[in-house]
Amino acid sequence: MKTLISSIALSTFFFVACNNGNQTTKMDKNTSSTSTVDQGTKEDLKTAAGSISGLLTNYLQIKNALSKDNDQEAATAAKDMVNAFGSFDKAALTTEQAKVYNDIEEDALQHATHIADNSGKIDHQREHFEILSKDIYDLVKEMGAGQKLYYTNCPMYNNNKGANWLSETKEVQNPYLGQSMPTCGTVKEELN
Amino acid sequence: MSWIKPGLLILLIVMLIIQFIQPTRNLDNGQVLSVALTEVVDVPQNVQAILQTSCYNCHSNNTLYPWYSRIQPVSWWMASHIKKGKEELNFSEFGNYSNRMRESKLKSIVGSVEDGTMPLPSFTWMHVKAKLSNEEKVLIINWATKTRDSLSLNK
Repeated sequence: MKTLISSIALSTFFFVACNNGNQTTKMDKNTSSTSTVDQGTKEDLKTAAGSISGLLTNYLQIKNALSKDNDQEAATAAKDMVNAFGSFDKAALTTEQAKVYNDIEEDALQHATHIADNSGKIDHQREHFEILSKDIYDLVKEMGAGQKLYYTNCPMYNNNKGANWLSETKEVQNPYLGQSMPTCGTVKEELN
Repeated sequence: MSWIKPGLLILLIVMLIIQFIQPTRNLDNGQVLSVALTEVVDVPQNVQAILQTSCYNCHSNNTLYPWYSRIQPVSWWMASHIKKGKEELNFSEFGNYSNRMRESKLKSIVGSVEDGTMPLPSFTWMHVKAKLSNEEKVLIINWATKTRDSLSLNK
């Protein structure tokens, strides 16, 4: 009898443990979705460049975190970016812009998700950041940045294959090589 | 310690029951879709052979299942890997990706083969043949890079 009770107790314990796990994830989702809504209402903007300013802020946060070799911060900023895509307001876009945006969003969202999911693997985050940078560059090219941006190239990254990124500063802070080579890179193009 | 025996018994019963619950298998019965990788881009025979052995088990609509894949919970574990793998990249439906996505998938192929993150070490541990030799890595990397370049020229 005693053994039966203890085995029931054990299985109940596992059930409870599982349920608790579910609850916490649900709560996480709730809190993150409320923060997304907040962001959406704050950005009551009418222009296309205005609409992408939230995405740009998150992108630059990822960039700055990577240049400081901070994988955790990069992951957090990438998670914010995923949410920003979710609450993106397409109303201000022209039909042509919306087409370009949808094409880019599909790809960029995957890379942002990977950066968010891979804290602890900064090299992997940087690989996805490289393609994300191309996506965001194309987005800015189509819609304007609404702020001054510098398209910068580091020729040394990835066995001298090189990579590009967008920066809010003219002064180079390299997100690919981080603190080992913080100033490697040259500005290729200035965007507005 | 008196709970150990019934505990083990319950575990055994659970193990027996789950053997009867089998997830749907990832099989296309030889059907090649018009959006398959080989239909939309050039894939040399030797590259295709490597992809087939080392990648297609999780990144296509057709898995070559080993005998132990029938044993639970192995089937669940494999099914979840295949689901995740296909979400990430599905060679059988490569043509459904936009041009931007194709380029980005090819770049990720190069990256993960170079890093050795793919094929997954947990997969090559059981499938020794799926492990990529250096020559095979070079073949895949060169093919993916070339294909990606040709896609960006087509824009």
